[in-house]
Amino acid sequence: MAAEKKLAGYICTGCGIGERLNVEQMRTIATREGKLGACKTHPMLCGAEGVQMIRDDIAAGEATHVMIGACSRRSKMEAFSFPDAAMSRANLREGVLWLRPDTEEQKETTQEMADDYIRMACAEVRFMTVPSASGEQELNKTLLVVGGGVTGMTAALEAARAGYPVHLVAEENHLGGVWTDLYKRVPFRAAAADVVGSKDIDLPQPEDPGVDALAERIRANERITVHLNARITRTSGAPGRFSADISTESGGTVTENVGAIVQASDFKPYDASNLPEFAYGKSPDVVTNFELERLAKDANGGPIRRPSDGKEVTSVAFIQCAGQRSDKPGHLPYCSGFCCTESIKQAMYFREQNGADATVLFDDLRTPGAAGEDFYRSGQQAQVTFSKGKASEVVSENGTLKVHFKDLILNEDTAMDCDLVVLATGQVPNTGPDPYAQLAVEEAETEEEKDAARRKLENAPPSILNLDYRQGTDLPQLKHGFVDSHFICFPYETRRTGIYAAGPCRRPMDMKQAMEDAVGAALKAIQSAENAGRGAAVHPRVGDLSYPQFRKEGCTQCKRCTVECPFGAINEDEQRYPLFNESRCRRCGTCMGACPVRVISFENYSIDTVGQQIKNVDMPDEFSEKPRILALACENDAYPALDMAAQAAQMGDGIELTPFARVIPVRCLGSVSLSWITDALNTGYDGIVLMGCRRDDDYQCHFVRGSAMAAERLSKVGDTLQQMQLETERVAVYEVAITDIQRAPQLINDMAATIEKVGMNPFKM
Amino acid sequence: MTEVVATNETILVVGGGISGLTAAIEAAETGKQVVLVEKRPYLGGRVTQLYKYFPKLCFPTCGLEINQRRARQNPNITVLTLAEVTDISGDKGNYKATVRISPRYVNDNCTACGDCAKAVEAEFDDEYNYGLSRRKGAYLPYRMAQPSRYVLDPRIIGTPDADKAKAACKVDAIDLDMQPQDLSFPCGAVIWATGWQPYDAARIQPYGYDRFPNVITSVEFERMADPNGPYAGRIVRPSDGREAKKVAFIQCAGSRDRNHLLHCSRICCMASLKQATYVSDAYKDAADVTVYYIDLRAIDRFEDFYNKVRAIPQVKYVKSKPASIVADKDGNPVVHGVDTEGYNRYAERFDLVVLAIGMEPAVPKDGFPVPIVVNREGFIEAAPENGGIFAAGGASDALDVNRAVQHATGAALRAIQVVNSVRGMEV
Amino acid sequence: MGDLNQAMIEKYRTNFLKEVEANVEEGEWVKMCMQCGVCSGSCPLGKFWDHPPQELFMMIRAGKRDEVLSSDSMWMCTSCYNCVVRCPRELPITHIMHGLAHYAKRLGLVPESQPTAAFAQMFWDNLMQKGRVNELKLGLKLYFMNGFGDGIKVALKHQKIGMGMLKTGRMSPMEAFGGHAVKDLKGFQSMIKKAQELEDQRIAEHGA
Repeated sequence: MAAEKKLAGYICTGCGIGERLNVEQMRTIATREGKLGACKTHPMLCGAEGVQMIRDDIAAGEATHVMIGACSRRSKMEAFSFPDAAMSRANLREGVLWLRPDTEEQKETTQEMADDYIRMACAEVRFMTVPSASGEQELNKTLLVVGGGVTGMTAALEAARAGYPVHLVAEENHLGGVWTDLYKRVPFRAAAADVVGSKDIDLPQPEDPGVDALAERIRANERITVHLNARITRTSGAPGRFSADISTESGGTVTENVGAIVQASDFKPYDASNLPEFAYGKSPDVVTNFELERLAKDANGGPIRRPSDGKEVTSVAFIQCAGQRSDKPGHLPYCSGFCCTESIKQAMYFREQNGADATVLFDDLRTPGAAGEDFYRSGQQAQVTFSKGKASEVVSENGTLKVHFKDLILNEDTAMDCDLVVLATGQVPNTGPDPYAQLAVEEAETEEEKDAARRKLENAPPSILNLDYRQGTDLPQLKHGFVDSHFICFPYETRRTGIYAAGPCRRPMDMKQAMEDAVGAALKAIQSAENAGRGAAVHPRVGDLSYPQFRKEGCTQCKRCTVECPFGAINEDEQRYPLFNESRCRRCGTCMGACPVRVISFENYSIDTVGQQIKNVDMPDEFSEKPRILALACENDAYPALDMAAQAAQMGDGIELTPFARVIPVRCLGSVSLSWITDALNTGYDGIVLMGCRRDDDYQCHFVRGSAMAAERLSKVGDTLQQMQLETERVAVYEVAITDIQRAPQLINDMAATIEKVGMNPFKM
Repeated sequence: MTEVVATNETILVVGGGISGLTAAIEAAETGKQVVLVEKRPYLGGRVTQLYKYFPKLCFPTCGLEINQRRARQNPNITVLTLAEVTDISGDKGNYKATVRISPRYVNDNCTACGDCAKAVEAEFDDEYNYGLSRRKGAYLPYRMAQPSRYVLDPRIIGTPDADKAKAACKVDAIDLDMQPQDLSFPCGAVIWATGWQPYDAARIQPYGYDRFPNVITSVEFERMADPNGPYAGRIVRPSDGREAKKVAFIQCAGSRDRNHLLHCSRICCMASLKQATYVSDAYKDAADVTVYYIDLRAIDRFEDFYNKVRAIPQVKYVKSKPASIVADKDGNPVVHGVDTEGYNRYAERFDLVVLAIGMEPAVPKDGFPVPIVVNREGFIEAAPENGGIFAAGGASDALDVNRAVQHATGAALRAIQVVNSVRGMEV
Repeated sequence: MGDLNQAMIEKYRTNFLKEVEANVEEGEWVKMCMQCGVCSGSCPLGKFWDHPPQELFMMIRAGKRDEVLSSDSMWMCTSCYNCVVRCPRELPITHIMHGLAHYAKRLGLVPESQPTAAFAQMFWDNLMQKGRVNELKLGLKLYFMNGFGDGIKVALKHQKIGMGMLKTGRMSPMEAFGGHAVKDLKGFQSMIKKAQELEDQRIAEHGA
């Protein structure tokens, strides 16, 4: 298998490289210092002819490892794509030419910069291997869907329709979940187009909930196996080879092997006993929106009767945002997003079936989109009264209820009498305990902290997935208990690879949205299973065949990798060595960065591929007045920002980068090993700039915790500097956004200014 | 000449905005062949023109960088830019699509060096900046544009500028003889992701968008706030370039209105809250922002963001649909109306008024190539009658980016169901 | 008329909105108001209204029957239609205002000395006498509405216009003595009578 390593270099002389740089010198450096077997040049390497030249060399076995000295790795990506070869790219165009002024006095330092990038690219490619899948992975097309509600049923059905077998696990003895009692649903469609003359004719009406029909289709589908009265008692493995124990109430357990998982555990209705001010629990005629569906179902199209005495309801009040959008203890701080249209629908029951007065007391009526606003008008047409008002209290006296509220439009405190009050209560995510709360117990340093962490877990809900993962039993939560990832661009990217959350356990939502969400989650699960079968990574390093390789004999079982992996990919074996699960891995390299003894690496990204770049620059001596500044830049944000700064500079924006900078893209700041920093300082770098992504609650790290982990790790770098008797200013960590086109080069230039102040690093090699 | 290899297991995605791009990538990463057709010369659509996303206040180009890389690296995706679908015929599982590609006059050789732009003199309104700035007749639509190739404006073809551009190009990338090309190819399913367009603000007569330079739309304000945009990120008055500290945001400008768009455009409340932070970030305590609204629709977890912005004392909220805007003698827009909570009439002078403009579906109202169910608002409904054609994102409803992506991911599965059934995998 | 008011109170008890829908011209639109306030801000005379249109709609929904029907506000509408063209729900607000005013009048709830109402009554009475409006009489009545002294003052103020009109034959002093009628005055009066009967019948059927 291991064919002879053939290192070949290709330097483009186009885009001004040939005119401004000494290409011959770079060729010599590539072959002599960079140890490449050969180094060719081409006037337009990215053109068909140049690319063919490289392809031919690879095909002829002349090049297994390719160093390209041309433009940024982000440019001409399609042209320079050689899946069978290892490749590194020296960024001569954006990284050097465009960011440096074309003047005679700058020529020398600019050339040095280019020379170093050639050295670095040669070093990088020497230590790279073409990744190949480990063979650990399998293709298993069967999916597991956890949750028998509308979300879960939809996910199962849609996956089955695409040809994938599904195990659908429902906790109840029937399908339907929280939607079982629904009498009617909020209409899915907006008003039809083909109406002449008026815009408000034939507005959508409450419609059949379709839950039974969905369940019927599930039962009739031979690709779907339904497990009722069942829970997942253990989930182990990884995408492509998950193993789930499905235990039924009767005590039986079956184990199913699946490729990927959709968690569609929906929500739990809010417990309205937290709302004594609205007489919930005091008067049977105060019900929640969930309970009302049952009453409506019982009425079966006839007049809805109030629970206390069976009297037909003649007037009903809906209190919106009951126990929601509120920071009172026991209330939900968020808006549940479904209650406005739900109340309109329920008010319409009363208009239609009782001819009753129906009043909706709301603050903001939230009926977005086409169908939403149409349905609002539909409710108005049905003579539902909408009053902007904030209810303060419901009092039950002599068989009637008095709702006290502030009329926000008429600006007065007032009250209304009614037979029935419906509280528009919210959705509480039905999710398991937060894995990081579980991890906190273990990570606590003192007994006190441990106790505090344990107490936090005391009231945690039971686990949904019972993952046997090192980092806890369930999907990580973002806020308010929802298992969301807070990616705007990538809503399905949970932090447990191959397990996708769908519906209201991810974010509060109505039934239509939950069903749409289920379709997307099903696609992601299918995709994950298929990619696991190929041994390839999923988002964001899609198709990457590399995986963490680990030198067991060097491992000190410090557990940093198992704790820090943002995706919980690493378990521990019986001897407490890390157990990598390849298809759970997203190839961010956080484990590599975390490892103090440098035993973790990837075929195409390792301690060496970066470390050797650092070591292979030409280090001028202390008295040269040519400092060297190492910049490690996140490849997704900071590095593109530098590229775009170069673009701007090229078009005359006046941006420059110090010629003393040597920039290396990293997958994530989380992958940065402290050894790179100490090596760099020991080699003689005068300053180091680390540029990662925002890491607060609104983090922008695509590996979620990578940037935060790096920051924590690097917070200790000051000690190292002090031990070396170096100024702490020599290392700076920044959060850099992709839009920081001016700022990114400026931060590096600032470091150059700092070095001028504090002086050169005495450790020059 | 562009060639497309496709079969009836190929998925055609129409529209390369965030929804179409997502649908194409998700399908391709599941192993399906995809042809992605985009009308503009680059991918990314309207999100490329946004400065920040709500609620994280992060930058759209950040996610776009990943999506571009995913698309570029994936051999399953064929991207056609400057291309429009002119016809679709056939049925689910067996369509024939016809696409017209307009000439870019720049071929694959282009290295995006910018020499042609430097050589060309003619300038035109920059559509990327909604006409707030000018661009050259040879241009890269914006810095991160993918494909990263320049475009020649057809208006310079036949002028000396075209020859100058050609002469300036060192890599022979300019081909002035390029002609429009019509391509036909088979596909099994179609994802229609043509998105939305801002409602024509000039049609909201009382707000005077066409009369007062200091009344602008939310999409224009987004360009203004972008440090890489036409105003270098300075929040100013277009009339005189003076700082705009006192800013009004008017909700439902064209939305929820039987005179304009029937639907609620969903995003505008959140977008205005986001944009309020631009003003308060720029001018701190000196900022003075008023949001005029009917219902503040910070739905579901967006409530957190609403609370966050509500904590900024420089941002006020008035429950009112303003009646009209007039300009005073100094060109200041004066907003007239009644605060419905307590019925106070106001005539408030501002430096700048931003109309939170509605989202109009970019779906051909008449003459969709095949029969399709469109609702009263003009969005495509999910319906069995649509056969193998599935709307994704803004073509299906007024959606924010997160929901559009979610919806587009689902649309990818719908299309996969069809092409898998062509292969004989259907239940 | 007081009886009709009582009858209506009995009939609609708690639901004033329903009463408005059944009895007020275009009243069925009141429910469609989305409470944006654009009508109120658009009204050129809005600052003279106690309750601008949207507030009236909210008061109707809140069941503030007496306050609405005895309000002065809807009488302020000058039919400029600004509100109608701007209303996002396309409510015929101008018509609803007139409808409310008319309904209040029918129920005898118009505030005393409401000048618009008084003028409207004057106009109607004048019209009924001869089947056409006698402008001289109407003008004089209007001038002397607030007493003799006031009437003289107003008349003197408009003296010049009056003289001009006399000179050009636009106004005949003879009209002050009876004035001329439409061709078929009897026919006109019986037509009005019939219309009144029909209206009373409708109210009897729907109203009580």
